[in-house]
Amino acid sequence: MKTVKVTINVNNEKIKLQVKPYETLLETLRERLALTGAKEACSLGSCGSCTVLLNGTPVRSCLILTPEVDGASITTIEGLKEDGKLHPLQEAFMEKGAVQCGFCTSGMIMTAKGLLNRNKKPSRAEIIKSISSNICRCTGYKKIVEAVEEASKKMA
Amino acid sequence: MILPKFEYKKARTIEEALEIYSQYNGEAFYLAGGTDLVPLLKHRLFNPKVVIDIKGIEELKTITKKGGNLLVGPNATLYELKGTPEIQEKLPCLFQSLDATSCETLQMRGTIGGNIMQNTRCLQYNKSLEWRTARGFCYKMGGKTCNVVLNAKACYSNYCGDNAPSLMTVDAKARIVGPTGEKTIKVEKLFSGDGKEPFTVKPGEILKGIIIPLKETKGAYEKLTVRGSIDYPLVGVAVTIKDGSAKVGVTGIGPCPRVYELKEVNEKEINNIADKAYEDAKPVLNAVLTPAYRKKMVGVLIKRVFKRIEKGGSR
Ligand SMILES: Cc1cc2nc3c(=O)[nH]c(=O)nc-3n(C[C@H](O)[C@H](O)[C@H](O)COP(=O)(O)OP(=O)(O)OC[C@H]3O[C@@H](n4cnc5c(N)ncnc54)[C@H](O)[C@@H]3O)c2cc1C
Ligand code: FES
Ligand code: FES
Repeated sequence: MKTVKVTINVNNEKIKLQVKPYETLLETLRERLALTGAKEACSLGSCGSCTVLLNGTPVRSCLILTPEVDGASITTIEGLKEDGKLHPLQEAFMEKGAVQCGFCTSGMIMTAKGLLNRNKKPSRAEIIKSISSNICRCTGYKKIVEAVEEASKKMA
Repeated sequence: MILPKFEYKKARTIEEALEIYSQYNGEAFYLAGGTDLVPLLKHRLFNPKVVIDIKGIEELKTITKKGGNLLVGPNATLYELKGTPEIQEKLPCLFQSLDATSCETLQMRGTIGGNIMQNTRCLQYNKSLEWRTARGFCYKMGGKTCNVVLNAKACYSNYCGDNAPSLMTVDAKARIVGPTGEKTIKVEKLFSGDGKEPFTVKPGEILKGIIIPLKETKGAYEKLTVRGSIDYPLVGVAVTIKDGSAKVGVTGIGPCPRVYELKEVNEKEINNIADKAYEDAKPVLNAVLTPAYRKKMVGVLIKRVFKRIEKGGSR
């Protein structure tokens, strides 16, 4: 089957690729670009562990075909740090103990980053609404909500 | 989970999309946000030769006001629609059903066109090929039986769209375009009532727009789910009150949403409609709650939504 040419900007780096027409963005990121921060769990859009930003908006990369994002900008957890410093969200997740096994963490942080992109000062209810659709089997969510609150305060 | 092999084409105009569809003799699917289609493809429920991306078609994206109506392009995302001031101010029922659909992340990708045109669901259908092969194919997969109801004559899969019922209660219409021309029909006429082929829209036809009358209304939407944050409706009830009369939409049970009309809004009428909707609801054991409970909740939710509207309507 013919491959499709795409140019995507991944974590501020322009990348040209030949991909399969039925390749998901998650597969491209993990298997072609070795960006394994986004995780595959359900692969059906239900859990949020594969969340990355598409032009600043959170998306579930397991449901997106790479050819669909030709010309777009993608940010993954690997691209969050600036000038070698971790993003306030990443720091807050560590400080608040919002990480246990870590499998949901990159999806949680990218979903939270998407929220902070559109809402600088989310209320607790807004944070819960935004991240509650991501499944975490370990933490019970409390620490995650606290971490997002903490990060939004630091960033204000 | 790996997708089956297909080609990818991006259409820039409606004509181009129709053209590609016919080039591939209909072995094609239109792709909007993909949040309904991609899981179905991963489960090998369809094996198209090509997927036609319609997101690049500019005229399908716009939301405009014209002559007392809101004209909504099917590619508008649920999140964009939810943020539309006219919907927030005048159509509380639709606003609430949009807000209750899946989750914020999926609302930002999922479109209203794809939401209306989503396939029906069943516990025995939305499963992997291996699982379904072991069980044996049902009507909806091209087999000769239903895997839920013994000796059933038709498919009992459920239409689980949250927004079609609200659109029905606000008298919305759909514009359909195909190789033979264009037509405008009421949203309820999009549904065939057959779980195997739930839509009257013919293969290859494109939903081109949704026309929503912008009248002052009161209303609310309520859905029964197991998971609060993200779940399809196991029963969904939409109510819109306008000029003293009301419409009630019921979704989540059976292959098409139903709509009921109340000439007047009073306790007797509400109880009558709740009883009628309860009678009409024929749930079977193909969702995660028992049929008896889901059936009962149809009447309960109808009464509850009217009560909520009386108290101001907010969730
Ligand atoms: C975890 C999860 C939870 C969900 N929960 C809900 C829920 O609670 N309520 C709910 O209603 N939905 C839910 N959905 C389903 C889905 O996300 C939404 O219905 C969404 O709005 C679908 O839109 P889309 O653009 O992604 O559709 P797509 O997947 O792109 O398309 C869906 C179908 O519509 C057809 N189509 C799309 N646009 C057109 C058009 N213009 N003309 C003709 N045909 C067209 C496609 O060919 C396809 O068959 C959920 C999905 C997931 C993965
Ligand atoms: S792996 Fe994408 S949502 Fe679960
Ligand atoms: S930390 Fe283990 S799943 Fe969230």
